[in-house]
Amino acid sequence: MAFKLKRRSFLQLAAAAAAGVSAPLGRAVAAGNDAATVGWPNDVPTWDPNQRFTPDAQPIFKAVFDQPLDQDPSLKLIPSLIKAWNLEPDGTSMAVELRDDVTFHNGDTMTTEDFRYTFLERIKAGLKLDTANSWKKVDDIVIESPTKATMKFNAPAPTAPQWMAFLGSYMVPKKYIEGQGLDNFVKNPVGTGPYRLAEYELNSRIVLERNDKYWGPKAKIGRVTIEIIKDPSARVAAIQSGQTDFTVNVPVREAQRFEREPGLAAELDPITRVILIQMRADLAFADKNVRLAAHHAIDKAALSKAFYGGAAVPLSVLATPGSPGYLPDFSFKYDPALAKELLAKSNFSTANPVKIGFATTNGQFPSDYDIARAIVQMWKQVGIEADLQVIEYAKYFELNRGNKLPETTLYSWDNATGDPEIFSGYQLNPKMPFSPWKDEDIGNRVLALFGTADYDKRIAGYKELERYAVENGATVPLLQSVITVVRKKNLAFTKYANGWVLPQTLRWS
Amino acid sequence: MIALLLTLIVRRLLSAVPILLIVSALLFCVLRILPVDPAAMSLPPNATIEEIEAQRRAMGLDQPLPQQYAIWLRGALHGDFGRSIALRRDAGELVAQTLPATIQLAACAMAIAAILGLGGGLLLFHLRGTVLEPLADLASIVLLSIPEFLWGLILLFVFGVLLQWLPFTGQVAPGLPLPHVTGFLLLDSLLVGRFDVFLSACRHLVLPALALGLAFSPTIMRVLRSSLFDVYLEDYIVQARLRGLSEGRILLGHAFKNASLPTLTLAGVQFGILFSGTLLVEVIYSYPGMGNLMVDAVRNADLPLIQAIGLTYCVVVLLINTAVDSLYVVLNPKLRVR
Repeated sequence: MAFKLKRRSFLQLAAAAAAGVSAPLGRAVAAGNDAATVGWPNDVPTWDPNQRFTPDAQPIFKAVFDQPLDQDPSLKLIPSLIKAWNLEPDGTSMAVELRDDVTFHNGDTMTTEDFRYTFLERIKAGLKLDTANSWKKVDDIVIESPTKATMKFNAPAPTAPQWMAFLGSYMVPKKYIEGQGLDNFVKNPVGTGPYRLAEYELNSRIVLERNDKYWGPKAKIGRVTIEIIKDPSARVAAIQSGQTDFTVNVPVREAQRFEREPGLAAELDPITRVILIQMRADLAFADKNVRLAAHHAIDKAALSKAFYGGAAVPLSVLATPGSPGYLPDFSFKYDPALAKELLAKSNFSTANPVKIGFATTNGQFPSDYDIARAIVQMWKQVGIEADLQVIEYAKYFELNRGNKLPETTLYSWDNATGDPEIFSGYQLNPKMPFSPWKDEDIGNRVLALFGTADYDKRIAGYKELERYAVENGATVPLLQSVITVVRKKNLAFTKYANGWVLPQTLRWS
Repeated sequence: MIALLLTLIVRRLLSAVPILLIVSALLFCVLRILPVDPAAMSLPPNATIEEIEAQRRAMGLDQPLPQQYAIWLRGALHGDFGRSIALRRDAGELVAQTLPATIQLAACAMAIAAILGLGGGLLLFHLRGTVLEPLADLASIVLLSIPEFLWGLILLFVFGVLLQWLPFTGQVAPGLPLPHVTGFLLLDSLLVGRFDVFLSACRHLVLPALALGLAFSPTIMRVLRSSLFDVYLEDYIVQARLRGLSEGRILLGHAFKNASLPTLTLAGVQFGILFSGTLLVEVIYSYPGMGNLMVDAVRNADLPLIQAIGLTYCVVVLLINTAVDSLYVVLNPKLRVR
């Protein structure tokens, strides 16, 4: 007997039915004031926070470890372990002053020795940390006192402060790691964060206990249990049945349904994650008319409505509203007629379509494959015939490195800092592996900005670059992604513009 | 009989060596044919071509395939299965950490499958010739057609979401500790005297084990019934009837024992399939076993980890088959005579 009902559809249907039948039972589970259970989609790859750049793991790392600098909910850079910093105008050195009241969970005092170890010595030791690439410009860290040090760069590093609050930049304890060994550190991680790791079971559970000696604001909830629930439908079922108090990244339809549920609150919050189409500058896309036609043919508002309940904001540039590089007055219009005109200039039409390849992941981010299929149909209407190919995300970088990606690739780009260098700078820099766009003109503009240390000048340069890149068809920004959050109504959290859900901000009311 | 059993086990284990070598070589070659580059994937995305080449040399990937296999095999024989690309940890250690949970789940599922399968088989046979036979037959076919992941979702919905009788995430309730002695949580909780943990672990095990057990019980059910039909054609059944034994005694005391032998063989084969069925069920129930790990490994194209898990599955299946064959010798006197 063949079952045509898909697993995910079935569970969503099931959870929807349960909403009507078991709502009173679902609300029966009352959480204690000092404990909360969170349904989270991914485990941490490792408990060495410098090891892997995994955006989804950052909120968990930020509970156990601290970053030298932090961001407030609007993403403004704020002091953290570093209480003062000064990037020289030429961007080649940065003096930092650390707090003197910070201790690791094992009681050791944090000093500039730990800072030097984290951002220089570990990297130079060849441990193959992902931070080796983000901090490859660090030549030396000169220690002046237990709280003062200066980072020396071998080239201008204008975004060094932003990177101090970004992926992988977590302070680790030198003495503990050198004394206990890396394997022991990974098994029993020690940080300076607001929580200490009380229990960990691979692919199943992370239990955090409040660090009562934390130097900053103490966490409101004493014990947070993070249940790793990878299947989005199972996360829906878990919050529905009261087995979790808080969950994220549930399907948009489910989040909208939960908005009407008594006892539960649901939100769709736009974050600093951009869904875009990456372009090549060659093959069929060597022709600018074709690239621009491909952009004009896409109805982004329709995509948002169909796949994100209208919550995802259509974008015209590679930056999100509110971030420094955003251009609120610039708009790239949806105009299929203009797309047809542009294609006609290059002798293409619906009868004689231009043929391109279009790569997409399936399941890497919500509705990726469905969005790609919708775009293929939109393109078909104007005379672009796309051959849709599904690729594994794990293979993306290898394909890009080997110049094997097709003309277009549907991609999701996360930038928790909101800084334009990590949006359009990384996406358009031909020397970096994050985009198939390899073009000297735009490449030179980007490289010049990478060496610009003056903040205002740098931001103005990126704004200009963003407009230029879109007008030349170097990129097709589509939507600002959203994070879905479902929680018990009396369990509040602090919303961050980059989508962070930090355990230390959870609080019962 | 013990000598016979020992001979059988030794012979089986010896024959397992070439099987494991062939499987590991096949696995190794197939994974190397995949269009992924383990060297590039083990480095950050913005690693340079030179760095990737250096990593390739360090991992021995610049050597011819047979030499690469020899390097891997040498390491595997010393317990070194390489490092997981995604988790940057020893692949063998990851397998050792998650294997007990999967064995525990599979064993419980097999027990459930055996109870339901044998009970159902006897019931099906008992209903032969009655008006209920077609209905029972249809029910067993319907059960047979439902895969384990669908059972997983049905049970999760009914007992987890709708009735809220049983938990469906993880191994124990939040707030309870996870004792680590042998890695088998049920056993460990008893060893450390934590009956609350034991009960919680049992509650958490019910749904995933039932999902797997329900998926595999219909096969046992139908094979047992079919075997019983064959056994009932034997002379000794007629003689038992002539001796005036009750139908129940004939069925349970004589026919069942003989009919259970082919069922046992089937159960041995089924256990291997059931073991691989843990993959999706573990993901649905956030159960921290080897199946869950395998799904991640495949998603990340984590070749060393896939290889270590694949080989472990093979070893487990071989061991189970050896155990079933041994049990067969114990239960079948004819084999002991030979």
